[in-house]
Formats: sequence, structure tokens, C-alpha cells
Amino acid sequence: MKRNLTFDWWAVIAALAAAALVRFNILPHIPW
Amino acid sequence: MSQIPRPLGLLPGIALLAALGFLGKLTEQSITRYGKAHHVALPNIEYVLWAIVFGLIVSNTIGVPAVFRAGVATYEFWLKTGIVLLGVRFLLGDILKLGGVSLAFVAIELAVSIALMTALGRWLRLSPKLTSLLAIGSAICGVSAIIAAKGAIEADDEDASYAIAAILALGAFSLFAFPAIGHALGLSDHAFGLWAGLAVDNTAEATAAGALYSDAAAKFAVLAKTARNATIGFVVLGYAIYWARKSNRQGVENKAAFLWQKFPKFVLGFLLISLLATIGAFTKPQIADLANLSRWAFLLTFAGVGLQTNIREMRKQGLRPLAVGAIGEFAIAGITLALIFAASRWFGTV
Repeated sequence: MKRNLTFDWWAVIAALAAAALVRFNILPHIPW
Repeated sequence: MSQIPRPLGLLPGIALLAALGFLGKLTEQSITRYGKAHHVALPNIEYVLWAIVFGLIVSNTIGVPAVFRAGVATYEFWLKTGIVLLGVRFLLGDILKLGGVSLAFVAIELAVSIALMTALGRWLRLSPKLTSLLAIGSAICGVSAIIAAKGAIEADDEDASYAIAAILALGAFSLFAFPAIGHALGLSDHAFGLWAGLAVDNTAEATAAGALYSDAAAKFAVLAKTARNATIGFVVLGYAIYWARKSNRQGVENKAAFLWQKFPKFVLGFLLISLLATIGAFTKPQIADLANLSRWAFLLTFAGVGLQTNIREMRKQGLRPLAVGAIGEFAIAGITLALIFAASRWFGTV
């Protein structure tokens, strides 16, 4: 796999943003 | 990359990932439902493997039309986002819940698995990265660990597909073999649960193997398994540093800067989320929500891995990776069983 380094930070930002949205109950319940 | 794709141009590919991944999820669910309705213990083949299989079928038969390619390439973003979110499931505190002797067994299992798989991989001349994936998969927790390590060490899609398939196939086998052996040896619930938690690699299958023995055994299996799982960050971190160093062949002047440049930064995100979950930043339902979100990200990821996997490349590897996996897993199961058996006979601790 040729690593696309720009994805690293975007992934961290996206995941932390999602975690914050869930933490402060902005995002509704996420089913599976 | 010659040009940056526009967001709209990504949509067809992402939709394809979602469709294939969702098909994988539906397949896993319908098999589980069939097993429950007919009271048969079917091996739990995760949506991850189905998504890979469906992606594989599409790319190796009709191929991926150009309009989808930009979107399909985002699978790496979903992989890394999913790994960071996965951190929420790995509480560092879980390590401490297990108790002294059992904890020592976890440490021994980790060391033995990594050493054994690495030696076997070298002996059967597997590619070094595939060997790393199998070692991490067998030492910690099957699919999640392979998923995390794939991103961290830049492993090929073929290697990751193969390692996941091998670990899951062996897990399915142990689901049936472990309870039979446990009964034959007359192991206690504690001893059997500990064994299943140490030697079965996928969390779902370790839990199921424990539950097939008894409820108490399932509890110990889950405890031992979560203690193993909790080490994922450290082991993946170690491997990431190892591979980042290894690519430094020419002898770069500023080694720290080079290591940092090669280092997969999202691993830090994983550790941060894991730390936040450990100190209680999220409630239980929130942890479940974030874990679900990581599953959705992996659903997209592994459809992409399948779409990028070339069957001809995989066939070049032959059956050797499966042989390494099988020999290694049998040896690990044997060693951990001997340890637990000896401890229960001599110390009566388990």
C-alpha cells in the first residue's frame, strides 16, 4: 500500500470531531 | 497524484464502497440469523471478510470503471478514521482487571506468539509485512489488530486480505475444537475461559468458545481477551516504529525527523481516544456509538481493500501464509494450554 500521508491527519481530525459530537450529544445514537 | 479530485467526483466510488460493504454486513447478519433459527453453531464470519470478498469479486471479474476510482481510493481515509475511533474500545484499565497469574500468561502469550510467527514467517519465506500482520493478528486480536497494523506498517492489500482470511478461518476451527479439548481434559471454567481468551484470536470467537463451555468460562475468556486487546496500541506502535526505521536505508541525517515523517500519525489519535475512554470521558452508550461508527468506517474500508486486491498476486503467495498461521496457532494453543494446565495442577490458582 502506498501510504497517502495527508489522510493521517484528516483521519485524526475526522475521528476526534466525531468523538466530540458524540460526547456532547450533538450526534444522535449510532446503530449498527 | 496529478490532480486533486473534486468532492463530487468522490461520490460514485464512496457509494460503491458503501454498497459492497453493506452487502457484507447483510450477509454476516443473515448467516447469524440462520444459525440461531436452526440452532446450529455457525462460525462468525465478520462483515469485514465478506466486504473484502465482494470487492474482490467485482474487481477481479468486471473491474472497477474509471468513474469510481477516485472515490474507492478514499478507503485509506476510512481505515484510519475507523482505527482512531476503535481506540474507544481499548481501555488501558482492562489490563489490570485480570489478576496477577493470568496477566503473566497474557504477557507470555504475546511474546511467544510474536516470536513464533516471526520465526515461522522467515522460515517459510513470507513477505516480511505479511509476517508482521500474522504475528500481530495472532498475538492480540485477529481482525482489529490486523486492521490497525495494516495502516501503521503500509502493508499491501493482498497481505491484509490474506492475513484476515487466515486468522478468521483458524478462529472458526477453534470454535469447535476448543470446547471438545476442554471437556476431554476436564478443565475448570476458569482454566478453560483463560485458555480460550489467550489462544482464540478474534474477540467474537473467543467469547463464543467460552460461552459454548459455560457462562463462567465465557466471563474469563472475555477478561483475558480484553487484556490482550488493551495492548494493541503498544504493539502496533512498536511495529510502526520498527517499519519506519527499516525504511531508513540510506542513512538519513536527521533520524528523529525522518522517523516522524514516516510514522503513522493516526496511531497517536488512537492512543488519545483510548486514553480519553480510559479516564472516563465517554459514557457507556457513547462508547458503543463510537465503536459502531468505527464499524461503519471499516465497512467502507474493506470493500475498498477487496476492490484493490489482485487475486493473481494473492495466488503467488500460495498456501504458505495459511500454513504459517495454522502451525503458529496450534503451537500457541498448545503452549498456553500447557501453562494453564500446569498452573492449575501445581498452584491451584486457575
